[in-house]
Amino acid sequence: MSALFAPTLAARDRRFGYAMAAPAIVVLAAIILAPVALALATSLFDYTLMNMTFDRFIGFDNFVAALSSSEFANSMVVTTLFVIAVVALEFVIGFVVALMLTTVKRGKNIYYLILLIPLLINPVVVGLIWRMLLHPTLGIVNWLLGGIGVPDIDWLGHPGTAFWTVVLVDIWHQVSFMAVLLTAGLSALPTEPYEAARAEGAGTLQTFWYITLPLMKPVIAVTLLIRLIFAIKTYDLIYIMTRGGPGDATDLISYYIYRSAFARLNLGEAAAMAILLMVIVIVLTLALFRTMRARG
Amino acid sequence: MIKRAGPHFILILFSASLLLPLLWVLRTSLTNKVSAYRIPPEWTEPIADNYIAIFTDQPFGTFFLNSLIVAVGSTAIALPLATMLAYAFCRFNTGGMPLRLTVLASQMLPPVILVLPLFSIFLTVGLINNHLGLMLAHVTINLPFLAWMLISFFEGDARIVEEAARVEGATRLQAFLFVAVPMAAPGIVAAGLLGLILSWNEFLYALVLSGKATATLPIGLSALETHRGVEIAMLAAATMFSITPVFVLLPFLKRYLIKGLALGAVK
Amino acid sequence: MRVNMLLAATALVAVPMLAHGQTISILMESVPDTRFVQEVVPQFTEATGIEVDIEVVNYAEMHAKLVPQLVAPEGSYDVIVVDFYWVGEFIKAGWLQPLDDRIAESGFDTSVYVPVLFDLVGQVDGTTYMLPFYNYAMGLTYRKDLLEDPENQAAFEARYGMPLRVPETWEEYKNQVAFFTDREAGFYGVVNQGLRPDPIAMEWSNYLFANGGQFHDENWNPTLTTPEAVQALEDYKMMISEYGPVGAASFGFDEAFNVAAQGQAYSYLTYNMFRTAYDDPEISAVVGKMELAPVPNGGLNGAWGWAIPVSSPDPDAAWQFLQWIESPEIARQRAMLGGSPTRFDVFDDPELNATYPYYPALRALLDTAHNFPVFTYTPELVDIMGRELSLAVVGDKTSEEALAAIQEEFTELARRDGKIE
Repeated sequence: MSALFAPTLAARDRRFGYAMAAPAIVVLAAIILAPVALALATSLFDYTLMNMTFDRFIGFDNFVAALSSSEFANSMVVTTLFVIAVVALEFVIGFVVALMLTTVKRGKNIYYLILLIPLLINPVVVGLIWRMLLHPTLGIVNWLLGGIGVPDIDWLGHPGTAFWTVVLVDIWHQVSFMAVLLTAGLSALPTEPYEAARAEGAGTLQTFWYITLPLMKPVIAVTLLIRLIFAIKTYDLIYIMTRGGPGDATDLISYYIYRSAFARLNLGEAAAMAILLMVIVIVLTLALFRTMRARG
Repeated sequence: MIKRAGPHFILILFSASLLLPLLWVLRTSLTNKVSAYRIPPEWTEPIADNYIAIFTDQPFGTFFLNSLIVAVGSTAIALPLATMLAYAFCRFNTGGMPLRLTVLASQMLPPVILVLPLFSIFLTVGLINNHLGLMLAHVTINLPFLAWMLISFFEGDARIVEEAARVEGATRLQAFLFVAVPMAAPGIVAAGLLGLILSWNEFLYALVLSGKATATLPIGLSALETHRGVEIAMLAAATMFSITPVFVLLPFLKRYLIKGLALGAVK
Repeated sequence: MRVNMLLAATALVAVPMLAHGQTISILMESVPDTRFVQEVVPQFTEATGIEVDIEVVNYAEMHAKLVPQLVAPEGSYDVIVVDFYWVGEFIKAGWLQPLDDRIAESGFDTSVYVPVLFDLVGQVDGTTYMLPFYNYAMGLTYRKDLLEDPENQAAFEARYGMPLRVPETWEEYKNQVAFFTDREAGFYGVVNQGLRPDPIAMEWSNYLFANGGQFHDENWNPTLTTPEAVQALEDYKMMISEYGPVGAASFGFDEAFNVAAQGQAYSYLTYNMFRTAYDDPEISAVVGKMELAPVPNGGLNGAWGWAIPVSSPDPDAAWQFLQWIESPEIARQRAMLGGSPTRFDVFDDPELNATYPYYPALRALLDTAHNFPVFTYTPELVDIMGRELSLAVVGDKTSEEALAAIQEEFTELARRDGKIE
């Protein structure tokens, strides 16, 4: 390929890229651009369910109100802890399961089938089912634990316990999401590096550390990111299981935003909080990809 | 021997922890509420009443069909578009990081913020209580995530094979369709699967944008939590019914995912 | 064009087009009274030729579903049902049609409604916007068999120096709760619903009234830092920690009801429609053993009303339906199926009284009931109360601190709504 042709080729590549991206961008823009723009706009107005008009511009008052509210501060703390807990734990478990799935030769179908099942259950139902299973005096879990001498556990009625109960239920429900993506990532890895490593007599752990992990980095980054976004948006599970309680122990930000919109009727402030959240997620995304690139 | 058994041991433990709670749900679906909460548990003769009730007293057949139409439809629209977008992102860095973030940004906002404006727009163009409307709404959720998931699946070997194909005279489109896509198949199938699941479970858009004729399973399921308590036995039956698509998915898994798995198993 | 064709195709698949006739659509909540309505509507269609399309959703999600419909110029629903909770908001937003002209024109008699209900989900500031649909006033459900057991009566009298009877004072009730609690045996004097926000806020309101407290004085100045209010919260905490089952601090009404229905509790202060639920052997193990009584000093009122939204596509047909569904004969039929009555003619019906012996108790419940503050920000007040009461129950705040926080925010809300200052 001569250097003379390179710019033309690059330009053609670029054009092909735009052509490939265009349909998706057009569809997204057609459906979601206006709602997003409206949501962004409402954050700058005194826009409530009582007064759904853009006639009272209030600048950044909604943002100030959100940032100075102790309830918002508390829910940010709870959300941070929740997101770290579920993303980290689900990642570790999901990765182990994905590795095991790619290792075993028999029963893959069955294992894979089983791990898909919780994903198909609606979060509302997951919450209701676990409330039944975890009922302190009428649930099967405490009854079974009672059989080995454990006194009735107050799964949801005590602030510290309730937080971890919600985390556990979320793991039960969502861990497979990580497992599915990571399994796909492992399945798509190139084979040569492994053959080379085997020829050089590398052990399982060495192979994992020096080959699998670096090759998996892009998939891991995306998996973590997507799960993080979903974890931040968790609200139905909280709605069904704790409504943010007891006290304010499980008051996740998305549930708080939901309440601001529909219980407090304050769409402007809800939008302001949502935008703050979005900015945080974007910063996290950039940081995540910078670290991944720096290490690779 | 231990090395062989280890992975199975972990997988069996994992599978059991996912399945045991559902076993109790299955049992609940075959009894009534008063027995479901009896502690210590008592053996009751299994009854089919709840399974009959969800189809006679409640329109779960319609809910199921609506969910299926919307999930399959939205994924069928989103998956090809997302695959193309991901390819553009990966191969040509189209739009750079700003475009990637813009695509995902709408999904970083809680849906409660978007649903009211979406409703008024859909109302104007007549997409309320309409399968297509809900499909399109779900596309906006699926597309960004699927595209992001797929970016990394076009990295690696595919680049080299594509270049070889291009040297041999394949067009860019041919290289994409006949080299890149097949090589990314495990990722595309997994993404499609997760897209179906996202739509299957989506609640708020389905609630606000649907009507009686187009209500999906999550709407029907949540209505079993009534102001006089949870219809837990019927809910359990409906839950069992709502996970049946997993068995339909199995053949697809066999063809793509499992084949993909074999590659990774080389190590 | 393509989109339009697709639209048409989907519409054909989705909605089997009604070949002829008028249809009205109603959004309702999943609750037994909705089922009773569904059972009687075929008669309406037969009489008028108007089809009735009832869409049923979960209570919790109903508000989110309704609001976009109500702000639209023309929504999908001709008739809606409104919880007393939303009345202030809906009126303030101007979403409901006034009914007075229609009532006058068709000679509909609104004097049949129990006044405390018509004040809650009928009239607002002299204008009629709704017709009461059913009531869910709260009452005390208790184990009649245990209360009437002579051995218990003797033991109770010996310990407390007062007779064991349907409690007429709050003190009597508290003694009964303590008396029947036997934690060793897994039997509790009371089961509470401590879940945020409405279960705990609604339940605690009864404690407030029982202790002689009120939400506000006649000028809407909040009165939630009074000794009565503090005592009410102390009582509530005591019930959960000393006399209730593990976990009551997180119970919604389903969990709490199940504890009572499995025979593990002497009493449960709850919505009156659970009275019939106890007698359903599919869901209860205490059939025939539970009875309903008013909370001493009066409990919390609650009700739903029928309304015609401004966005109703066909308000005339909607009014025709309202008149019919609230006609004496149909109201009677719905009550016969188990519906919760709102009208004197139903309460006085001899046949209904014979079928449902708890009618006098239910009537007494309404006669003594207190209303929750109904204003634009009722849902927000409930949300605040839920948070603060729950913080007090788990010990993160003292009763005084929690009530002071509610007082402060309630005052702010009342001010914002123009009720005070």
